[in-house]
Amino acid sequence: MKTKIDILQRLFFLITAAAVVWGLYLAARAPGEATQGDAAKLLFVHVPAAITAYLALGVGLLAALWYLIRRSPAADRMSSSAIEVGVIFTVVTLVSGMIWGRAVWGLWWDWNDARLMSTAIMFFYYMGYLALRRSIIDPEARAGRCAVLAVIGFIQIPIVHYSVLWFRTLHQGPTILRPDGFRSTMDEEFALSLAVGIMAFVAAMTLMLTSRLTLSRLQDARNDLSGLGPPVGRGVTAPFMGGPTMGGPTMGGPNG
Amino acid sequence: MTRRQIVLPALVLLAAVIVLLVWNNLGNNLVYYLTPSEALEQRGGPEAGGRFRLGGQVEEGGIEETEDGVRFAVGDGAASITVVHTGAPPQLFREGIGVVVEGAWEGGRFHSDVLLIDHDEQYRAPDGEGAYEVPAGPAVPAVEG
Repeated sequence: MKTKIDILQRLFFLITAAAVVWGLYLAARAPGEATQGDAAKLLFVHVPAAITAYLALGVGLLAALWYLIRRSPAADRMSSSAIEVGVIFTVVTLVSGMIWGRAVWGLWWDWNDARLMSTAIMFFYYMGYLALRRSIIDPEARAGRCAVLAVIGFIQIPIVHYSVLWFRTLHQGPTILRPDGFRSTMDEEFALSLAVGIMAFVAAMTLMLTSRLTLSRLQDARNDLSGLGPPVGRGVTAPFMGGPTMGGPTMGGPNG
Repeated sequence: MTRRQIVLPALVLLAAVIVLLVWNNLGNNLVYYLTPSEALEQRGGPEAGGRFRLGGQVEEGGIEETEDGVRFAVGDGAASITVVHTGAPPQLFREGIGVVVEGAWEGGRFHSDVLLIDHDEQYRAPDGEGAYEVPAGPAVPAVEG
């Protein structure tokens, strides 16, 4: 039986595939940039990936706030799924940026650059968030603590974004979200490719987010069926409550 | 004393130490490079003789190849410093492009061993000013037969 979600998923998949193909075609057809040559085509991957990461982590923030107000498991699922997807796009941003940096600046990485360092710290912070989710068994405690972490962590997004304006960096200034508007930074040839690139990445993010949400919902539903929380939780919180336990049936116990 | 009473202060302390470390490191590196004007100003300062990064534009009319690198002038419109670089310059290196070099003063010159290209966020089609030209590589002999 097809649910509404399935149909939406298929639609998102088609939109994503079309945008990716269109974006690749435009990127291949775009001229090499005046100073950087073909290396500047990484613009069509790197900038959309960064914007998509900000967007996903922003969804993570809003859902976390929603959780803290309403204590709704759905908000927790939305927040954690969005942050997971945001981390993936942060990786894409870092990797495409490193390749671009090697091609144009002449180095893969430099810890002294404020943009590079703040992005790396943001990445490790949200990796920590994902690790925390795995280390708390009680669903409510996990959701509450992770929501607080997601809210505090979002302060890093403006720091990462404005680092290139606040500090003198090797990294260039913002391309799109900048004080004087994006029109000033590029010729038409590049603007369309970049716009389609952003569309493709946002569509892919939506697709990944909805898939992850479906998975989270199924996981939560399965855990609810047992009525006792996840099996690991039962094992850790109440290992020996009398009666036959691990190690086979025992005779002569207090309840035996 | 509950576990919370021990763990919470420990976490706060740990966070404080991390913030302190990051902040100290940031303090030294908030400025990725010095402009030629700043570098000349600070020359006699307390950190004279140390390594630092110098950033600016490669000035027109002065890239000389040397035995083991290149010699050129880096300027910011107000001041200019002669840079003696050891090592092969990157592919995009040319007159007028932004560079960051890393090294130290040696006499009146800046001796560098790291040469980075520092471009801005302007993306221009090649028919504009400063047109991009495909660097001339070694000619590929035509395959015969």
